Amino acid sequence: MMRAAWAVFAKDVRTELRARYALSATFVFALSTLAIVSYAVGPSFGGRPELLAAFLWTVLLFSASAGLAQAFVREVERKTWFTLRLVAPPTAILLGKWAVNLVLLAATEALIVPMFLALFGIGFRSVFGFLAVTALATVGLSAAITLVAALLAQARAHGALVSALAFPLVFVPVMAAITGTRHTLVEPGVPPTELRILAAYAGVLVAMGLVLAEHVLED
Amino acid sequence: MVWRWGLFLYMSIVTVAAFLYAPMAKKLYEQTRIIYWHIPVAWVTVVAFLVCGWQSVRYLMTRDLADDARAASAATLGVLFCALATVTGAIFSKGMWGAYWNWDPRQTSIFFLLLIYAAYLTLRSATPEPARRARLAAVYGLFAAAITPLLIFVVPRLFFTLHPDPIVNTSGKLEMHPRMFQVFMASLVGFTVLFFWVYALDVRVRLAAMRAEGEWAGTGKDRVA
Repeated sequence: MMRAAWAVFAKDVRTELRARYALSATFVFALSTLAIVSYAVGPSFGGRPELLAAFLWTVLLFSASAGLAQAFVREVERKTWFTLRLVAPPTAILLGKWAVNLVLLAATEALIVPMFLALFGIGFRSVFGFLAVTALATVGLSAAITLVAALLAQARAHGALVSALAFPLVFVPVMAAITGTRHTLVEPGVPPTELRILAAYAGVLVAMGLVLAEHVLED
Repeated sequence: MVWRWGLFLYMSIVTVAAFLYAPMAKKLYEQTRIIYWHIPVAWVTVVAFLVCGWQSVRYLMTRDLADDARAASAATLGVLFCALATVTGAIFSKGMWGAYWNWDPRQTSIFFLLLIYAAYLTLRSATPEPARRARLAAVYGLFAAAITPLLIFVVPRLFFTLHPDPIVNTSGKLEMHPRMFQVFMASLVGFTVLFFWVYALDVRVRLAAMRAEGEWAGTGKDRVA
Protein backbone atom coordinates (compact mmCIF):
# COMPACT_ATOMS: atom_id res chain seq x y z
CA MET A 1 0.00 0.00 0.00
CA MET A 2 2.84 2.41 0.87
CA ARG A 3 4.49 1.60 -2.47
CA ALA A 4 1.28 2.51 -4.29
CA ALA A 5 1.02 5.74 -2.26
CA TRP A 6 4.64 6.55 -3.12
CA ALA A 7 3.89 5.89 -6.81
CA VAL A 8 0.91 8.31 -6.70
CA PHE A 9 3.09 10.89 -4.93
CA ALA A 10 5.93 10.49 -7.47
CA LYS A 11 3.49 10.72 -10.41
CA ASP A 12 1.94 13.92 -9.08
CA VAL A 13 5.31 15.50 -8.30
CA ARG A 14 6.55 14.71 -11.85
CA THR A 15 3.34 16.11 -13.36
CA GLU A 16 3.58 19.20 -11.17
CA LEU A 17 7.23 19.83 -12.03
CA ARG A 18 6.34 19.52 -15.73
CA ALA A 19 3.35 21.90 -15.68
CA ARG A 20 3.90 23.79 -12.39
CA TYR A 21 0.19 24.50 -12.27
CA ALA A 22 -0.58 24.17 -8.56
CA LEU A 23 2.88 25.43 -7.56
CA SER A 24 2.63 28.66 -9.56
CA ALA A 25 -1.04 29.19 -8.61
CA THR A 26 -0.24 28.85 -4.91
CA PHE A 27 2.95 30.95 -5.03
CA VAL A 28 1.42 33.78 -7.08
CA PHE A 29 -1.68 33.80 -4.89
CA ALA A 30 0.41 33.85 -1.71
CA LEU A 31 2.73 36.61 -2.95
CA SER A 32 -0.17 38.76 -4.16
CA THR A 33 -2.04 38.41 -0.88
CA LEU A 34 1.11 39.13 1.12
CA ALA A 35 1.82 42.23 -1.00
CA ILE A 36 -1.77 43.48 -0.54
CA VAL A 37 -1.67 42.98 3.24
CA SER A 38 1.77 44.54 3.58
CA TYR A 39 0.88 47.53 1.38
CA ALA A 40 -2.49 48.02 3.11
CA VAL A 41 -1.04 48.30 6.63
CA GLY A 42 1.86 50.49 5.43
CA PRO A 43 5.34 51.13 6.83
CA SER A 44 4.01 52.90 9.94
CA PHE A 45 2.35 49.69 11.17
CA GLY A 46 3.49 49.07 14.72
CA GLY A 47 3.66 45.30 14.37
CA ARG A 48 1.15 44.02 16.95
CA PRO A 49 1.91 40.29 17.24
CA GLU A 50 -1.74 39.14 17.25
CA LEU A 51 -2.36 41.01 13.97
CA LEU A 52 0.87 39.77 12.38
CA ALA A 53 0.07 36.16 13.24
CA ALA A 54 -3.47 36.55 11.85
CA PHE A 55 -2.11 38.15 8.63
CA LEU A 56 0.39 35.33 8.11
CA TRP A 57 -2.11 32.50 8.57
CA THR A 58 -4.78 34.25 6.51
CA VAL A 59 -2.32 34.48 3.61
CA LEU A 60 -1.32 30.83 4.03
CA LEU A 61 -4.91 29.59 4.37
CA PHE A 62 -6.14 31.34 1.22
CA SER A 63 -3.05 30.24 -0.73
CA ALA A 64 -3.57 26.65 0.41
CA SER A 65 -7.21 26.67 -0.68
CA ALA A 66 -6.19 28.05 -4.10
CA GLY A 67 -3.54 25.43 -4.87
CA LEU A 68 -4.17 22.33 -2.80
CA ALA A 69 -7.75 21.81 -3.94
CA GLN A 70 -6.57 21.00 -7.48
CA ALA A 71 -5.19 17.56 -6.56
CA PHE A 72 -8.27 15.54 -7.48
CA VAL A 73 -10.01 17.96 -9.85
CA ARG A 74 -7.16 17.64 -12.37
CA GLU A 75 -7.56 13.85 -12.45
CA VAL A 76 -11.26 14.30 -13.24
CA GLU A 77 -10.63 17.02 -15.86
CA ARG A 78 -7.88 14.99 -17.60
CA LYS A 79 -10.12 11.91 -17.46
CA THR A 80 -7.39 9.94 -15.65
CA TRP A 81 -9.49 9.43 -12.54
CA PHE A 82 -10.84 5.98 -13.36
CA THR A 83 -7.43 4.72 -14.47
CA LEU A 84 -5.93 5.91 -11.23
CA ARG A 85 -8.70 4.17 -9.29
CA LEU A 86 -8.00 0.95 -11.20
CA VAL A 87 -4.27 0.88 -10.49
CA ALA A 88 -4.17 2.09 -6.89
CA PRO A 89 -6.29 1.44 -3.78
CA PRO A 90 -8.23 4.43 -2.35
CA THR A 91 -6.06 4.71 0.77
CA ALA A 92 -2.89 4.87 -1.35
CA ILE A 93 -4.40 7.57 -3.60
CA LEU A 94 -5.48 9.64 -0.62
CA LEU A 95 -2.08 9.26 1.08
CA GLY A 96 -0.18 10.10 -2.11
CA LYS A 97 -2.29 13.18 -2.85
CA TRP A 98 -2.06 14.32 0.76
CA ALA A 99 1.74 13.96 0.69
CA VAL A 100 1.90 16.12 -2.45
CA ASN A 101 -0.27 18.78 -0.80
CA LEU A 102 1.85 18.61 2.35
CA VAL A 103 5.01 19.29 0.32
CA LEU A 104 3.28 22.05 -1.67
CA LEU A 105 2.06 23.83 1.47
CA ALA A 106 5.47 23.45 3.15
CA ALA A 107 7.14 24.94 0.04
CA THR A 108 4.70 27.86 0.09
CA GLU A 109 5.47 28.48 3.75
CA ALA A 110 9.22 28.30 3.07
CA LEU A 111 8.76 31.06 0.48
CA ILE A 112 6.23 33.23 2.30
CA VAL A 113 7.46 33.23 5.91
CA PRO A 114 10.93 34.78 5.23
CA MET A 115 9.31 37.39 2.97
CA PHE A 116 6.71 38.07 5.64
CA LEU A 117 9.41 38.58 8.28
CA ALA A 118 11.39 40.86 5.95
CA LEU A 119 8.39 42.96 4.88
CA PHE A 120 7.21 43.55 8.45
CA GLY A 121 10.72 43.81 9.92
CA ILE A 122 10.14 41.27 12.69
CA GLY A 123 11.70 38.08 14.03
CA PHE A 124 10.62 35.17 16.17
CA ARG A 125 11.57 34.91 19.84
CA SER A 126 11.28 31.13 19.45
CA VAL A 127 12.16 29.83 16.00
CA PHE A 128 11.80 26.22 17.14
CA GLY A 129 8.37 26.97 18.59
CA PHE A 130 7.24 28.53 15.32
CA LEU A 131 8.58 25.59 13.30
CA ALA A 132 6.73 23.14 15.57
CA VAL A 133 3.47 25.12 15.27
CA THR A 134 3.84 25.43 11.50
CA ALA A 135 4.73 21.75 11.01
CA LEU A 136 1.66 20.52 12.90
CA ALA A 137 -0.65 23.13 11.34
CA THR A 138 0.63 22.16 7.90
CA VAL A 139 -0.20 18.50 8.52
CA GLY A 140 -3.74 19.36 9.69
CA LEU A 141 -4.47 21.97 7.02
CA SER A 142 -3.19 19.86 4.14
CA ALA A 143 -5.12 16.80 5.40
CA ALA A 144 -8.39 18.78 5.70
CA ILE A 145 -8.09 20.45 2.29
CA THR A 146 -7.06 17.17 0.61
CA LEU A 147 -10.12 15.39 2.04
CA VAL A 148 -12.48 18.20 1.01
CA ALA A 149 -10.87 18.27 -2.46
CA ALA A 150 -11.41 14.50 -2.77
CA LEU A 151 -15.11 14.91 -1.91
CA LEU A 152 -15.64 17.93 -4.14
CA ALA A 153 -14.00 16.36 -7.19
CA GLN A 154 -17.06 14.08 -7.24
CA ALA A 155 -19.60 16.89 -6.74
CA ARG A 156 -20.94 19.52 -9.11
CA ALA A 157 -19.54 23.11 -9.06
CA HIS A 158 -16.50 21.89 -7.10
CA GLY A 159 -14.35 24.95 -7.79
CA ALA A 160 -16.68 27.36 -6.04
CA LEU A 161 -17.19 25.16 -2.99
CA VAL A 162 -13.66 24.44 -1.79
CA SER A 163 -13.41 27.44 0.52
CA ALA A 164 -17.02 27.09 1.70
CA LEU A 165 -16.46 23.48 2.75
CA ALA A 166 -12.85 23.61 3.90
CA PHE A 167 -12.67 26.88 5.87
CA PRO A 168 -15.20 25.95 8.59
CA LEU A 169 -13.40 22.61 9.03
CA VAL A 170 -9.97 24.25 9.48
CA PHE A 171 -11.10 26.91 11.96
CA VAL A 172 -9.61 25.02 14.94
CA PRO A 173 -6.06 24.53 13.56
CA VAL A 174 -5.94 28.03 12.06
CA MET A 175 -6.92 29.61 15.40
CA ALA A 176 -4.39 27.43 17.24
CA ALA A 177 -1.72 28.31 14.66
CA ILE A 178 -2.46 32.04 15.04
CA THR A 179 -2.24 32.00 18.86
CA GLY A 180 0.80 29.72 18.68
CA THR A 181 2.57 32.02 16.20
CA ARG A 182 1.70 35.07 18.34
CA HIS A 183 3.28 33.27 21.30
CA THR A 184 6.49 32.56 19.37
CA LEU A 185 6.71 36.22 18.24
CA VAL A 186 6.76 37.58 21.80
CA GLU A 187 7.93 34.77 24.09
CA PRO A 188 10.66 32.15 24.07
CA GLY A 189 9.78 28.45 24.13
CA VAL A 190 7.01 26.43 22.53
CA PRO A 191 3.29 27.08 23.13
CA PRO A 192 2.22 23.72 24.68
CA THR A 193 -1.57 24.15 24.52
CA GLU A 194 -1.58 25.11 20.85
CA LEU A 195 0.78 22.26 19.97
CA ARG A 196 -1.51 19.77 21.71
CA ILE A 197 -4.56 21.11 19.87
CA LEU A 198 -2.77 21.06 16.51
CA ALA A 199 -1.50 17.52 17.14
CA ALA A 200 -4.99 16.35 18.18
CA TYR A 201 -6.60 17.93 15.12
CA ALA A 202 -3.99 16.50 12.73
CA GLY A 203 -4.31 13.08 14.36
CA VAL A 204 -8.12 13.09 14.13
CA LEU A 205 -8.14 14.22 10.48
CA VAL A 206 -5.46 11.78 9.32
CA ALA A 207 -7.04 8.85 11.20
CA MET A 208 -10.52 9.68 9.86
CA GLY A 209 -9.10 10.04 6.35
CA LEU A 210 -7.46 6.60 6.52
CA VAL A 211 -10.57 4.95 7.99
CA LEU A 212 -12.96 6.56 5.48
CA ALA A 213 -10.69 6.47 2.39
CA GLU A 214 -12.70 3.62 0.83
CA HIS A 215 -15.88 5.68 1.13
CA VAL A 216 -14.27 8.97 0.06
CA LEU A 217 -12.95 7.53 -3.21
CA GLU A 218 -15.54 4.89 -3.96
CA ASP A 219 -16.47 5.86 -7.54
CA MET B 1 -52.50 14.96 18.28
CA VAL B 2 -52.36 14.32 22.05
CA TRP B 3 -48.55 14.59 21.93
CA ARG B 4 -48.71 17.91 20.11
CA TRP B 5 -51.14 19.53 22.57
CA GLY B 6 -49.34 17.98 25.52
CA LEU B 7 -46.02 19.43 24.36
CA PHE B 8 -47.61 22.83 23.72
CA LEU B 9 -49.06 22.87 27.25
CA TYR B 10 -45.76 21.66 28.76
CA MET B 11 -43.67 24.32 26.97
CA SER B 12 -46.21 27.00 27.94
CA ILE B 13 -45.88 26.02 31.62
CA VAL B 14 -42.06 26.07 31.33
CA THR B 15 -42.21 29.56 29.77
CA VAL B 16 -44.47 30.89 32.54
CA ALA B 17 -42.28 29.21 35.21
CA ALA B 18 -39.16 30.83 33.69
CA PHE B 19 -40.64 34.26 34.42
CA LEU B 20 -42.70 33.69 37.56
CA TYR B 21 -41.29 30.66 39.42
CA ALA B 22 -37.53 30.72 38.88
CA PRO B 23 -35.56 33.44 40.71
CA MET B 24 -32.98 35.66 39.01
CA ALA B 25 -29.34 34.60 39.17
CA LYS B 26 -26.72 36.78 40.85
CA LYS B 27 -25.18 39.34 38.46
CA LEU B 28 -27.37 38.17 35.57
CA TYR B 29 -30.61 39.89 36.70
CA GLU B 30 -33.35 39.69 34.03
CA GLN B 31 -30.86 38.10 31.58
CA THR B 32 -31.37 34.95 33.65
CA ARG B 33 -34.56 34.16 31.69
CA ILE B 34 -32.73 33.49 28.47
CA ILE B 35 -30.86 30.58 30.09
CA TYR B 36 -34.06 28.51 29.77
CA TRP B 37 -34.00 28.87 25.97
CA HIS B 38 -30.39 29.50 25.03
CA ILE B 39 -28.80 26.48 26.74
CA PRO B 40 -31.55 23.98 25.73
CA VAL B 41 -31.36 25.01 22.05
CA ALA B 42 -27.55 24.76 22.21
CA TRP B 43 -27.97 21.28 23.77
CA VAL B 44 -30.44 20.25 21.05
CA THR B 45 -27.95 21.50 18.44
CA VAL B 46 -25.35 19.07 19.76
CA VAL B 47 -27.93 16.25 19.97
CA ALA B 48 -28.99 16.92 16.36
CA PHE B 49 -25.40 16.84 15.09
CA LEU B 50 -24.73 13.64 17.05
CA VAL B 51 -27.81 12.08 15.41
CA CYS B 52 -26.49 13.28 12.04
CA GLY B 53 -23.10 11.64 12.76
CA TRP B 54 -24.75 8.39 13.90
CA GLN B 55 -27.03 8.21 10.86
CA SER B 56 -24.02 8.95 8.61
CA VAL B 57 -22.23 5.92 10.10
CA ARG B 58 -25.39 3.87 9.57
CA TYR B 59 -25.63 4.97 5.95
CA LEU B 60 -22.02 3.97 5.21
CA MET B 61 -22.72 0.55 6.76
CA THR B 62 -26.16 -0.15 5.27
CA ARG B 63 -26.24 2.04 2.11
CA ASP B 64 -29.93 2.57 2.82
CA LEU B 65 -30.96 6.02 1.53
CA ALA B 66 -33.43 6.27 4.40
CA ASP B 67 -30.47 6.60 6.79
CA ASP B 68 -29.17 9.43 4.63
CA ALA B 69 -32.57 11.14 4.84
CA ARG B 70 -32.40 10.84 8.64
CA ALA B 71 -28.88 12.34 8.68
CA ALA B 72 -29.99 15.21 6.41
CA SER B 73 -33.04 15.87 8.56
CA ALA B 74 -30.96 15.96 11.76
CA ALA B 75 -28.40 18.29 10.15
CA THR B 76 -31.10 20.65 8.87
CA LEU B 77 -32.77 20.84 12.28
CA GLY B 78 -29.34 21.15 13.90
CA VAL B 79 -28.59 24.20 11.74
CA LEU B 80 -31.96 25.70 12.71
CA PHE B 81 -31.36 25.16 16.45
CA CYS B 82 -27.74 26.34 16.07
CA ALA B 83 -29.01 29.59 14.50
CA LEU B 84 -31.44 29.96 17.44
CA ALA B 85 -28.59 29.36 19.91
CA THR B 86 -26.50 32.00 18.10
CA VAL B 87 -29.34 34.56 18.16
CA THR B 88 -30.31 33.94 21.79
CA GLY B 89 -26.60 34.10 22.72
CA ALA B 90 -26.31 37.44 20.93
CA ILE B 91 -29.34 38.79 22.85
CA PHE B 92 -27.75 37.65 26.13
CA SER B 93 -24.47 39.26 25.04
CA LYS B 94 -26.19 42.60 24.32
CA GLY B 95 -27.83 42.61 27.74
CA MET B 96 -24.70 41.61 29.65
CA TRP B 97 -21.81 43.16 27.74
CA GLY B 98 -23.46 45.88 25.66
CA ALA B 99 -22.87 44.38 22.21
CA TYR B 100 -24.66 41.67 20.25
CA TRP B 101 -21.39 40.24 19.00
CA ASN B 102 -17.86 40.45 20.41
CA TRP B 103 -16.16 37.31 19.02
CA ASP B 104 -16.24 35.62 22.38
CA PRO B 105 -14.73 32.10 21.97
CA ARG B 106 -18.07 30.40 22.68
CA GLN B 107 -19.92 32.67 20.27
CA THR B 108 -17.26 31.97 17.66
CA SER B 109 -17.33 28.19 18.22
CA ILE B 110 -21.12 27.94 17.82
CA PHE B 111 -20.93 30.20 14.76
CA PHE B 112 -18.36 27.93 13.11
CA LEU B 113 -20.45 24.89 14.01
CA LEU B 114 -23.27 26.60 12.12
CA LEU B 115 -20.94 27.17 9.16
CA ILE B 116 -19.73 23.53 9.14
CA TYR B 117 -23.25 22.13 8.95
CA ALA B 118 -24.34 24.82 6.49
CA ALA B 119 -21.41 23.57 4.37
CA TYR B 120 -22.73 20.01 4.84
CA LEU B 121 -26.09 21.11 3.41
CA THR B 122 -24.29 22.98 0.59
CA LEU B 123 -22.40 19.81 -0.34
CA ARG B 124 -25.71 17.95 -0.48
CA SER B 125 -27.24 20.54 -2.80
CA ALA B 126 -24.16 20.39 -5.08
CA THR B 127 -24.49 16.64 -5.65
CA PRO B 128 -27.59 15.67 -7.66
CA GLU B 129 -27.24 11.84 -7.73
CA PRO B 130 -28.88 10.46 -4.54
CA ALA B 131 -26.41 7.63 -3.79
CA ARG B 132 -23.32 9.76 -4.39
CA ARG B 133 -24.84 12.68 -2.45
CA ALA B 134 -25.56 10.36 0.46
CA ARG B 135 -22.01 8.94 0.49
CA LEU B 136 -20.21 12.29 0.21
CA ALA B 137 -22.49 13.89 2.81
CA ALA B 138 -22.00 10.94 5.19
CA VAL B 139 -18.21 11.27 4.96
CA TYR B 140 -18.30 15.06 5.42
CA GLY B 141 -20.78 14.60 8.28
CA LEU B 142 -18.36 12.26 10.03
CA PHE B 143 -15.45 14.69 9.63
CA ALA B 144 -17.68 17.42 11.05
CA ALA B 145 -18.73 15.16 13.94
CA ALA B 146 -15.05 14.45 14.73
CA ILE B 147 -14.20 18.16 14.82
CA THR B 148 -17.28 19.26 16.79
CA PRO B 149 -15.86 18.26 20.24
CA LEU B 150 -12.74 20.35 19.53
CA LEU B 151 -14.94 23.34 18.68
CA ILE B 152 -17.24 22.96 21.69
CA PHE B 153 -14.84 21.84 24.41
CA VAL B 154 -11.30 22.87 23.37
CA VAL B 155 -11.44 26.25 21.58
CA PRO B 156 -13.46 28.03 24.33
CA ARG B 157 -10.79 26.99 26.83
CA LEU B 158 -7.96 28.24 24.60
CA PHE B 159 -8.95 31.89 24.81
CA PHE B 160 -10.19 34.26 27.50
CA THR B 161 -13.98 34.21 27.57
CA LEU B 162 -16.64 36.42 29.16
CA HIS B 163 -19.16 33.60 28.81
CA PRO B 164 -20.47 32.26 32.15
CA ASP B 165 -19.27 28.81 33.27
CA PRO B 166 -21.23 25.86 31.94
CA ILE B 167 -24.11 24.68 34.19
CA VAL B 168 -21.86 22.01 35.63
CA ASN B 169 -18.53 23.87 35.85
CA THR B 170 -14.97 22.59 35.57
CA SER B 171 -14.84 21.77 39.30
CA GLY B 172 -17.89 19.53 38.83
CA LYS B 173 -20.17 21.73 40.99
CA LEU B 174 -23.71 22.72 40.12
CA GLU B 175 -24.04 26.43 40.90
CA MET B 176 -27.73 27.10 40.36
CA HIS B 177 -30.69 27.82 42.60
CA PRO B 178 -32.86 24.65 42.96
CA ARG B 179 -35.93 26.33 41.39
CA MET B 180 -33.84 27.62 38.51
CA PHE B 181 -32.48 24.12 38.04
CA GLN B 182 -36.00 22.63 37.99
CA VAL B 183 -37.16 25.05 35.27
CA PHE B 184 -33.91 24.63 33.35
CA MET B 185 -34.17 20.82 33.34
CA ALA B 186 -37.86 21.01 32.38
CA SER B 187 -36.95 23.26 29.46
CA LEU B 188 -34.10 20.95 28.44
CA VAL B 189 -36.47 17.97 28.36
CA GLY B 190 -39.13 20.00 26.51
CA PHE B 191 -36.76 21.16 23.77
CA THR B 192 -35.32 17.64 23.40
CA VAL B 193 -38.81 16.17 22.94
CA LEU B 194 -39.66 19.03 20.54
CA PHE B 195 -36.58 18.21 18.46
CA PHE B 196 -37.35 14.48 18.24
CA TRP B 197 -41.01 15.18 17.38
CA VAL B 198 -40.10 17.59 14.53
CA TYR B 199 -37.33 15.21 13.45
CA ALA B 200 -39.79 12.30 13.22
CA LEU B 201 -42.20 14.41 11.16
CA ASP B 202 -39.45 15.67 8.84
CA VAL B 203 -38.05 12.16 8.28
CA ARG B 204 -41.53 10.88 7.38
CA VAL B 205 -41.95 13.72 4.87
CA ARG B 206 -38.50 13.06 3.35
CA LEU B 207 -39.12 9.31 3.07
CA ALA B 208 -42.54 9.92 1.48
CA ALA B 209 -40.96 12.33 -1.05
CA MET B 210 -38.18 9.83 -1.85
CA ARG B 211 -40.72 7.06 -2.35
CA ALA B 212 -42.85 9.30 -4.59
CA GLU B 213 -39.82 10.13 -6.75
CA GLY B 214 -38.77 6.49 -6.98
CA GLU B 215 -35.46 7.07 -5.16
CA TRP B 216 -36.32 4.71 -2.33
CA ALA B 217 -38.48 1.60 -2.32
CA GLY B 218 -39.23 1.78 1.40
CA THR B 219 -39.83 -0.92 3.95
CA GLY B 220 -43.07 -2.27 5.37
CA LYS B 221 -42.90 0.03 8.37
CA ASP B 222 -40.76 3.14 7.98
CA ARG B 223 -38.31 3.50 10.82
CA VAL B 224 -37.93 7.12 11.91
CA ALA B 225 -35.00 7.03 14.34
